[in-house]
Amino acid sequence: MNIKTYIDRIDLRRFRFWFQLATFALLVYGGRLAIDLGNSLPTFSCGYNKKGQAGVCYLLPLQHQLAEPWSQLFSPAGLGVLGGFALFLLWFVVLNKAWCGFICPLGTIQDWITSLRKMLGIRYSTYSDEQFKKLSLIKYVLLLALIFMPLAIGGQFLSHDWATPYCQICPARMIIPVFNGDFSQWMVDFSSTGKMVLTALGMFITGLFLIGSFLKKRFFCFFCPMGAFHYIFSKLSLFKLKKEGSKCTVCGDCYRVCDLQIKPIADNVVKKDILMDDCILCLKCVAACPEQGALRVELLGKTVFESTKDGFVKRMGLEKKE
Amino acid sequence: MTVEQHQREIETAQHRHARHQGMEAGEVLDTVEKAFAGNPQNMQYFYDLFRDVYCNGIKPHPGKEMIGTMCVQIPDEIIHAAGGVPVRMCNGFYTDEEIGGEFMPAKSCSLVKASLGMLKSETNPYSDGIKVIVNPTTCDQKKKAAGMMREMGYNVYDMELPPVKESEEGREYWRRSVRKFTHEVGKLTGKKVSRKGLKQTIKTVGLAQRAYHRLNNLRKQTPVPILGKDIFMVTNAYFFDDLERWTAATEALCEEIEARVAAGHNAAGRRSPRIVFTGSPPVFPNLKLPLMIEQADGVIVADETCSSNRLLNDMVSVDEWFMYDMVDAIADRYLKSCTCPIFTMNDDRIRRLIELYRSFNADGIVYQAFAGCSVYEMEQRSVAKAMEKEGIPMLYIETDYSPSHSGQLLTRIEAFMESLKARGRHK
Repeated sequence: MNIKTYIDRIDLRRFRFWFQLATFALLVYGGRLAIDLGNSLPTFSCGYNKKGQAGVCYLLPLQHQLAEPWSQLFSPAGLGVLGGFALFLLWFVVLNKAWCGFICPLGTIQDWITSLRKMLGIRYSTYSDEQFKKLSLIKYVLLLALIFMPLAIGGQFLSHDWATPYCQICPARMIIPVFNGDFSQWMVDFSSTGKMVLTALGMFITGLFLIGSFLKKRFFCFFCPMGAFHYIFSKLSLFKLKKEGSKCTVCGDCYRVCDLQIKPIADNVVKKDILMDDCILCLKCVAACPEQGALRVELLGKTVFESTKDGFVKRMGLEKKE
Repeated sequence: MTVEQHQREIETAQHRHARHQGMEAGEVLDTVEKAFAGNPQNMQYFYDLFRDVYCNGIKPHPGKEMIGTMCVQIPDEIIHAAGGVPVRMCNGFYTDEEIGGEFMPAKSCSLVKASLGMLKSETNPYSDGIKVIVNPTTCDQKKKAAGMMREMGYNVYDMELPPVKESEEGREYWRRSVRKFTHEVGKLTGKKVSRKGLKQTIKTVGLAQRAYHRLNNLRKQTPVPILGKDIFMVTNAYFFDDLERWTAATEALCEEIEARVAAGHNAAGRRSPRIVFTGSPPVFPNLKLPLMIEQADGVIVADETCSSNRLLNDMVSVDEWFMYDMVDAIADRYLKSCTCPIFTMNDDRIRRLIELYRSFNADGIVYQAFAGCSVYEMEQRSVAKAMEKEGIPMLYIETDYSPSHSGQLLTRIEAFMESLKARGRHK
């Protein structure tokens, strides 16, 4: 069996579980081993997890930098922002949205919560088509807010109490430090109106996160502004999800396993680069596709993993034990 | 003379019908078996199976509760999980069509008439043991046939299928139909569909599909190692054969065909045009057109029909092995990829045909429409147009179960094969 067949037959569920566990440990505890991957990571390696972080989510420094006084931001000194961004892009370009499906600690936690639900035999919920369309816009609203609110602070239209607004409402800020025994983020900051509003909202969203991800697979990813930010640059990525529409029978197996309910993965037979804005590149669709070569993952134009009948049959447990 | 005739036992109408049916089946089986040299040894299982059921009067599932299904959309997995045996009621006998003719207008589809005729005659192989006939709301003729089956005294279950499959509404509608069916079929058989049971039958059906794919994939080879008429026999047997026995027989056939491939065996002629067969389904013994194609030096390498590829191609994929996910997964598999012409759009079918033409390295398409099968007749235009655009030669044949006009048909098919060969030379 050559390496390609081996990869195409991979038990993706198991592979992801261990891969996610490893990256979770690295990002959440790596700091304890003095690992530092910088502060431009395109994933929720939360900067509030001071005890264990092995690198910081780019959204934190980004909001900080954008909140610099305009005189500074729009001067040569502001080029520093571009440096951080370039590093972010460099990280991102390699893996595209697979950062979400394979590395993001908050994503991994949601997958664990899903496993818990499955253990209890409770069915998952889904959005209707209309709900999907409406809710799908929220991440862009959050993205705009996390860019323009800091800018407004820098321009002195908004007080510093509203600093790093997205981080204040992000469930990662409260949840990830917990893994290092740090519950200090679980509070409402009453020191100012801005802080109070944001931290209270943060509490609320964290509660929503826990309940939501129990009921719905990858509940939060649907609203994640990082996901929206990724999507803007995903065309630049070297890692791509491709579809061969002519080979697709539109059976919908891929759509059915999709945690994010992305319909075009099944229904769109025209688009070649099928990565959609909500996609987390978990590759479950590729693993669930029974048509030879209908879905594939490319790295630098080379197919690294594709749907095969053989792989499908193996993953569905349809191989007789020899 | 006259005295002798009076002494002879007078044959009842039913008896005569059974005898004629046996003759019809026997004649086709003889052609399938003897008109072609070098049949695979493992095909014998299938030839014998048909001979037993249709010529020798051996009932396929004695003592078991059979659930008749009228179309390809009825989920086998669920019926098996409820302890029933799904048996496809779509019938290909001209002798039955003659009886069924009394139920339907003259210009209606042979298949529907023949299926009704079979159900009417008491000598049919499934006469004792059909618990219920599940009739999905596909074409108008099948829909209206349900009433006639009820009139004959059958218990008919109308399974509602949406006419649009692209919309979310259609999907949800069908999912509900399937959920309800899962519930109801358990009541009918007295065995509730359980999570464990369904998981098991998804696997059993999946294994059968795996065997089919293994076989079908071998037809991509040049030279082609197995004839299309044999494939139709295999897939037609799936209509009524015991599932596990069928899978084992198909796997055995695969072994043999794989060995043939390794030996470079050619089942067809040196320059036989490779044909994709589509349209109204060839159902035993109405293998008229496939047999003609292969007797005219063509070879069917792929098909897009509900008696063969569409029946077995698409496989269920389950994310969470619970009832809620398994039943919905099954529902989707039977709706979304179905290329039945009763749906409003036929883009999927056209795309599928082009893909089959390419991946099986075919030379042309033969499109069969039963006279009176209005949906296939209507789709002909759009399919022909799309094929022309792709530069794919297609022969459209309107026919029925009657044995007449076969000379004319053969001439057309031969001409098409010759044109494909000529085209091949110029390529």
